[in-house]
Amino acid sequence: MSEFVVKPGVKNLVHDDEKLVTTHCSYCGMQCGMHIRVHKKTGKIMGVEPRYDWPVTMGKMCPKGVTAYQQVQHPDRIKRPLIKKNGKFVESSWKEALDLIETKFKELQSKYGKDSLSVFGGVSMTNEKCYLVGKYARVALGTRYIDYNGRFCMSSAAGGFIKTFGIDRGSTLPWPELEHSDCFFMAGSNTAECHPTSIQWFWKAKDKGAKMIVVDPRETPTARVADVHLDLKPGTDSALANGMMHLIIREGYVDEDYVRERCNNYEELKEAVKLFTPEYTSEITGVAVEKIVKAAHIYGRSPRSVVMFARGVEQQSKGVDNVALYSSMALLRGQVGKFASGVATFTGQGNGQGGREHGQKADLLPGYRKLTDPEAVKYISSVWGINPEDMPKPGVSAYEMFDEIQNGNIRAMHVICSNPAVSAPNTEHIWSGFRKLDFLVVSDFFLSETAEFADVVLPATSWAEDEGTTTNLEGRVIRIRKVIEPVGESKPDWLIMKEIAERMGKGKHFNYDNPGEIFEELRIASKGGKADYSGITYDRIVKEDGVFWPCPSEDHPGTPTMFKERFDTPDGKANLAVVNWKPAGEYPTEDFPHILTTGRVVYHYLSGNQTRRIDFLMEQCPVPYAEMHPELASQYNLSSGDYVRLTTRRSAMDLEVRITKAIRNDTVFVPYHWGKELAVNQLTNPCLDPVSRMPEFKVCAVKMQKTAAPEASLK
Amino acid sequence: MNKIMYLEFERCIGCRACLAACRECGGHDAKERNYVEYVDFMESRQTYPMLCMQCKDPACARVCPANAIQITEEGVVLSAMEEKCIGCRNCTFGCPFGIPKFDFEENKMYKCDMCYDRSKHDIAPMCASVCPSEAIRFIDFDEMQELRRKRTQMNLIEGKKPAEHDKWQYVPEFFGVYSD
Repeated sequence: MSEFVVKPGVKNLVHDDEKLVTTHCSYCGMQCGMHIRVHKKTGKIMGVEPRYDWPVTMGKMCPKGVTAYQQVQHPDRIKRPLIKKNGKFVESSWKEALDLIETKFKELQSKYGKDSLSVFGGVSMTNEKCYLVGKYARVALGTRYIDYNGRFCMSSAAGGFIKTFGIDRGSTLPWPELEHSDCFFMAGSNTAECHPTSIQWFWKAKDKGAKMIVVDPRETPTARVADVHLDLKPGTDSALANGMMHLIIREGYVDEDYVRERCNNYEELKEAVKLFTPEYTSEITGVAVEKIVKAAHIYGRSPRSVVMFARGVEQQSKGVDNVALYSSMALLRGQVGKFASGVATFTGQGNGQGGREHGQKADLLPGYRKLTDPEAVKYISSVWGINPEDMPKPGVSAYEMFDEIQNGNIRAMHVICSNPAVSAPNTEHIWSGFRKLDFLVVSDFFLSETAEFADVVLPATSWAEDEGTTTNLEGRVIRIRKVIEPVGESKPDWLIMKEIAERMGKGKHFNYDNPGEIFEELRIASKGGKADYSGITYDRIVKEDGVFWPCPSEDHPGTPTMFKERFDTPDGKANLAVVNWKPAGEYPTEDFPHILTTGRVVYHYLSGNQTRRIDFLMEQCPVPYAEMHPELASQYNLSSGDYVRLTTRRSAMDLEVRITKAIRNDTVFVPYHWGKELAVNQLTNPCLDPVSRMPEFKVCAVKMQKTAAPEASLK
Repeated sequence: MNKIMYLEFERCIGCRACLAACRECGGHDAKERNYVEYVDFMESRQTYPMLCMQCKDPACARVCPANAIQITEEGVVLSAMEEKCIGCRNCTFGCPFGIPKFDFEENKMYKCDMCYDRSKHDIAPMCASVCPSEAIRFIDFDEMQELRRKRTQMNLIEGKKPAEHDKWQYVPEFFGVYSD
């Protein structure tokens, strides 16, 4: 097995005393290709070398990607299990830690029933691990309470896609085709900061004259060069999408044949969007009428267009509706299932796509099967070797698990690869939940804010210490390679789950020696499901530069472009969204007169547990800040560098002010990558989408007050 | 080596991957030698990258009283040689682009060397390799010329024609660095 994969004629710098291992980045859904430099003799990771021949990213990396390798042998790594004794973590042996977990888990289950345990998963890990988390919860622990951090990330996109297309694959087209598109309609995506390496495709298309319409309350680097920047009020996407469709229909830009043959609900949609004249849309969204009209004409006239969106539209209490509406825009133009056009969401987490398909969700089983479908339960039970009657029923969503803790139903939690103490909304509720738990186990490779609450912390490996696959934002299944042996006594998550399973008396269901064996089982488990991986093998991934699911057999080429002939709904037709306007969970009032929105910066990833430890990234962006328009700032006599207290109905925090005209004058933006008193999620609203149970991170009402700079010690 | 570094400012998205990548280059001692700055953050998020122009007749080398700044046969202007540099900082004052950096602790100058260990093998420097927006590119001289013509051509296609008073607006933003 060669670990260094490079195409003929591609030159890389290889030092004599080093070898290169070909893999992908640990961070976002772009999963940029990279080679990691390892010293042959010492096994030390020396750095990164661009993977010029990876067809999705061509060697490009963002600053997180360039420095990703620095996590692996970082001094902060947890190298031995930690057990909290008298409020302090003490290093222990694996045996002691697992003994304690076994005793506690068994004790709690015999006292309070099987469902007193819970698992909180994550999708910044390989498909093999994500798949196993679901099986671990349901088979090893036998609990219904499992959910994962994708609930804060991708679940609205998933809900919207399933509703519209019948299947949830983040992108209906392969990314390199973007170069050939004529128009991008990008909503709620700060692409340049959150998925920087995708920019090359947009700029290439722009070089050829492609148009760009960007929907964002902030003038992001993409909005800055857009042909139209629709600077809407946060939380008004559904009105804007309806307004766009109103114009697309009125101006005759609808592909009538396509809609007749391939879509349902057209008449209802026509009726629903009648109300959304440019004037009415403008009134709700705060976007000038001329801009809306201009955008509709550009979009409507483009022969090949892609509608793209991200957390900005999804992290709302109407996330599913927003996704369905924006997707419907592409359907009206007959764009889905064709070359260089379609619909795509920017997957936030590294394996946000693959991790949500294989049973980490409260209501899903591998292969995107529904836990409520008896046939699915029967099939998966047979793969897992359990009785269908023993399959736990659907649980509750991530945030709602913390309600169950407060209700006393959940007594213990195993958090794997996630940091909800930072990433969940209304964090004080989360913190109080962690304190209330009888027993908390956290598997991680750095001591996260969540791990600090734990009774036992198990040292997991980083992404560079294990084999496996991930599925990138296109739906392409790709190969992650082991670069070095596990650091210290850390173990890969699958091995940790296997060992706990053995102690819970379920070892025979977890009989794996390596991730490849888990992948083989995943192939069988996903066979016949919507996300069918059964034709994908490790060898094919290497040979074919990744394989797109669904791929139902080994001679199937995979599916780069979705929905060429039919949609995955029962009748094969897409469902156009018919949605009326309703306001966000919170809107400005006299007491809380402004809008707070949150997001990422390019230097940090999710809860920052990884990136806040990397020198370069911390030098660039050490603390969160409140970004606002000078017009808003001057109402409070604020200048750049002053401090402001932001207060919402949940909590308050102090932040340094950054002033720029590149944001709406009624909106304050704060990045969310920090914990404790620096966590903006203390303020955010846990108002959930009724379908996806996604919290409304992106909109809440806030009041401001000038305040003194914090003591130097806090800075 | 017939490659040049090509900068296209308006492509820059301000991610500073080039700075992170610069630190990764073998001889760079984990210190970046390039720059990314906001034009004016109050007005917009526009940023631009800046790196050494590798001048044919570099001011930094000319003003060096110790002759510490060497130029390779390919034309790459190197950091001051440690054994020669007297720490006078003349190079930092002399450079019209504000490129050379000065390490006050070590009392020596350091600057972009186009990742000489890479570029001498025709492998792109780290900054140009990773730049996600292709604001920094390491390309053939001919390709650079083509790109320059292209911008003008796009303007013509869009119906604009240069006149005597505004023809400079049709000149593409670029910096060709050097060639042989």
